[in-house]
Formats: sequence, C-alpha cells, structure tokens
Amino acid sequence: MKYLISCLLIFSYIKAFDYKLTPIKLNENSYYFYGKEEYFSKQNGGNIVNCSFIITQNSVIVIDTGSSLLYAKQMKKQIEQITNKPIKYIINTHHHPDHFLGNDAFFQSDIFASLFTKTEIEQNGDLYITNLVNLIQESMKDTKIKVPNQILSTQVLDLDGYKLKILYFDGHTKSDVAIYDENTKILYASDLVFNKRTPSTPHANIENWLNALDELEKIPYTTIVSGHGVATNSKKPIIETRNYLKFVEKTLASSAKEGLDIYEILNKPIPKEFEDFTMFKEEFERTIINTYPSYEKDLK
Amino acid sequence: MKPIHFLSFFFIFLQILYAKNPIPSPTFDDILKEIIKNDSYIFDNENVKIKVPNFADNPVQVPIFVNAKNIKNAKRMILFADLNPTAEIIDMDLKNILPLVSLNIKVAQETPIRALVLDENNVWHIGSKNIKSFGGGCSVASVTSSNTDFEKLLGKIKTEFFKVEENIYRIKSSIFHPMETGLIFGNPEFYINKIEIKQGKNIFSSMNVFSSVSENPRFIFELKNRVDNLNIEFIDNDGNNYKADIK
Repeated sequence: MKYLISCLLIFSYIKAFDYKLTPIKLNENSYYFYGKEEYFSKQNGGNIVNCSFIITQNSVIVIDTGSSLLYAKQMKKQIEQITNKPIKYIINTHHHPDHFLGNDAFFQSDIFASLFTKTEIEQNGDLYITNLVNLIQESMKDTKIKVPNQILSTQVLDLDGYKLKILYFDGHTKSDVAIYDENTKILYASDLVFNKRTPSTPHANIENWLNALDELEKIPYTTIVSGHGVATNSKKPIIETRNYLKFVEKTLASSAKEGLDIYEILNKPIPKEFEDFTMFKEEFERTIINTYPSYEKDLK
Repeated sequence: MKPIHFLSFFFIFLQILYAKNPIPSPTFDDILKEIIKNDSYIFDNENVKIKVPNFADNPVQVPIFVNAKNIKNAKRMILFADLNPTAEIIDMDLKNILPLVSLNIKVAQETPIRALVLDENNVWHIGSKNIKSFGGGCSVASVTSSNTDFEKLLGKIKTEFFKVEENIYRIKSSIFHPMETGLIFGNPEFYINKIEIKQGKNIFSSMNVFSSVSENPRFIFELKNRVDNLNIEFIDNDGNNYKADIK
C-alpha cells in the first residue's frame, strides 16, 4: 500500500499542468479558447489569453499561441480531436508573451507576423521567457523562442485558398494585427479590444490606439474575438475599450496639471461604467505607473 | 500560580510593550543604528504612510509616495530600503517643507522600505512597507547614459509650482541625470547627491540624495507655506551644479 501511495505521489509530481482547454464554437469552422481574466500565475499556468483557430478546406489556421509550449501542445491536441487536417498556418498578432510563446509547438508550420513583431520576438523573446518563468514557473518547461518565419505585409492573406483580411494598426503595441474573416464575419481584434476586462497597456500609445478603434468600428463584423474577455456578437467591446482609454487619458492629463502623485490618482473613485471590468485595480495601477511619467514630462 | 506561568506572562507582556517591527529583516537594526544612533524610536505605520506598487514590475523605476503630514512640526525625514546595496534613499531637512515626498527608486530584490520621521520631541516615527519585485534594478546600466544627446541633455531641469488645494503648495521637479550606482564594472558612480531649494541666497530646504534613486529623478515636495521666487539646485558627486527657477 505504502508503495502504491508513493508511486501515486511521484506520478502526480511528474504529471504536467493541465490547462483544461475546451474550444468554444463561434461558427461552423471557427473556434476559440477562452483565457482566464487573471494575471499570469502558477495556478493558471499563463492561460490568460484567447487563442483562435479556423478550419479551412485543406488546413487549419491558428491565431496566437498562448504563453507556454505546454499550453500550445494541449491546444494542438484539442484541435486534433476536432479535425485531422494539418495545422499549417500560425499568425502572431503582436509581440506580447501570452500571444507567441507557444509557437514552438507548431515549428513545422508557417508562422506569420508583422516585421516589427518578428524583430521584437527575435530580440526580446528570451527576456519574456525569463519573466514568465518567474511568474508561472513549471508550466514554462521547455518553452523556447520560435521566431515567425513569414512576414505579413499584404492586405489579404491567401492561405491554401482561404482568404483573410489583415489589418495593420498600432496603439496597444507598436504593431498590432487584427484579422477579419469575411467568410464568417468574425473579427479577431487581438489586444486592441478587451471585453469587460481592463486593457493592459505596457507598450501602449493611447492616441494611436483610439484611432485603431475608430477603424475597427467600421468593420461590419457579427462576432468579435477580443484578445482577452469573452467573444461576443455585441458592438460594445470597442466602445467600452475606447471609453476606458479616454478616461485614462483625461485622468492623467488633469492630474499632471494639478501636481498629483501616482497614488493620489489611484485613490480617486472608480467611475461606475468600469466597475464591472475584471482586473481593474491591478491593470489601472500598472497603466498609471507606466504612463503617468509621459504626462509629467510636460512640466515647464 | 507556578513561577513558570508567571514568567511566560511576563515575557508576553514585554513583547506587547515593545511594538514589534512589522516587517522584520536581517539588516534593519544595523542600518537604523547607523542612521539614528541611540535616539528613541517607535514603529508608526498609522502616521507614516508609505505607498508602493502591488508588484514592482520594473525594478529600475519603483514609484514611492510617503505622507507623514499627521506628524506636526516634524524636523527630518529619512528613507531607506533594507536590502538595497545602497540602503539610504533620501535625507530631508524639514525646516520649511512637510514630511511628504514622491520619487522613484531602484530595487535590487524584494525589500522592505522605511520612512523615518523625527518629531518635535526627538522621537523617530518609523513607517514600513514591503516592495515586492523580482529585483535586479541596482546592477544595470542606466538607459540615460546611452542616450546619444547625453551631453546636451545632462542636467536639464524641469520644474513647476502647484497649488494643489487651498493651502497645499507643491514643487515638482525633474532632472536629466543617469544616477549611476557604480555597482557595474565600467560605469563609475555618478549621481545627484544633494538638492538645495533656495530663496535668493538663503537655503530654504536641503536634502541628501543617494544613488538608489532612479535615473532621471523626479521629486514632489510640499511646502509649509506659500513662498514665491524659489529656485532649485541639484549637485552631483562630480561637483556639477545644475540650477533652475521654480515657476
């Protein structure tokens, strides 16, 4: 009996983290994996981002690959349970670690990204890994940088006869790619849109981000898959993301004029419309800490 | 009552008498002794409030805000971080300014930060807070040093006078300076070590600054009363002197 228990104990140690991924159907052939609305932690293994896939005539297209190799491998397994078509194409929407660190699981596929995103992954990818090893620990096991091998540059991407519209923006990072699938009227908005989840802004340029949202709003989509938060048929996520960014901009500008400190800004009451945003406290704090200095630069 | 019981009660009583350090650390006692010698002190998180981020993602720029305005007629305020290679951060004389400061610091690892405020009865009030971080902020070269316009920008000061509310007057001031700690091979220490706020030629307030303050430092100080025509002077350890009027 003792032997059995110790065997079980050892087994449970070896057993890899289970992300418990289940693809959510958006349309006949389009699915997404919902990422938790949390910060990176050991408990969630970095499962905090939405990754999507589209099954086409001859192949599968995956949009974003998650935070770790393990995540991507489990995602791959789930996709293979639905279809036996090969996963030929990967698209990385931008250079944040939760969107590309799973690339290595698809090392035989064509991995697409914009030139800036590719360069950024190449140059700073290892820094992201170090940081995530600290945050999510064991689940990062064997995760390596796999740099995209195809550069996105055209407005329309033809993948084995399946056409996707590629929209180039910046704002959330210096290069954000949104993907519009005209066949299904699904908009994959990447991290330019957050649904009821407070936007994260470590590399943001708010002004450009607002312009990008104006353009996204013109697209006649029926379903929107945001980088974080649930996918929805509503038009609201774009509006709410815009309202939040405008609120941040206004708050920072007026606080800089009044001579306030970061923590005095954080002490102000939260407007009602953002009360149901998840992660408001932590993301708002990060945003203020990262962005306020650029407003303080306007000192005389 | 058995004597052993009495003894244990006695010890518990003693423990309560001496308010305990809210965040113990191995270096705290030594650093404190060096700074305040044999002065008396109390732990007072109630009146010495320190704000730090939930988690300091960026170890070279950790914003700190200390407010001890509850302590009336405070004479001096000193900040230090227990586990930084250069523990001391700033040492302010509070003749004409209030015990309030905002600045960014570097952290080498997760560390407690302390603010010591000397009250009118010569008792130090110690506020403590823990800064959570993966650290590494003290052993990297400043980004500023590699700026191609370094020579042109070095010592460039921005400063502004604010009336925040009725009877609350602040100075916010920043200076372009690398604040090198000297802890990395090839980068000798080069940092602002003194700030003087002056009214004409008279020193209004002066403070000692240490290399644990982040590069391109930015400070907020609060004045006891409205005073116009102040100017600020930053002095670094190379003897450079940078001046600006506070408008």
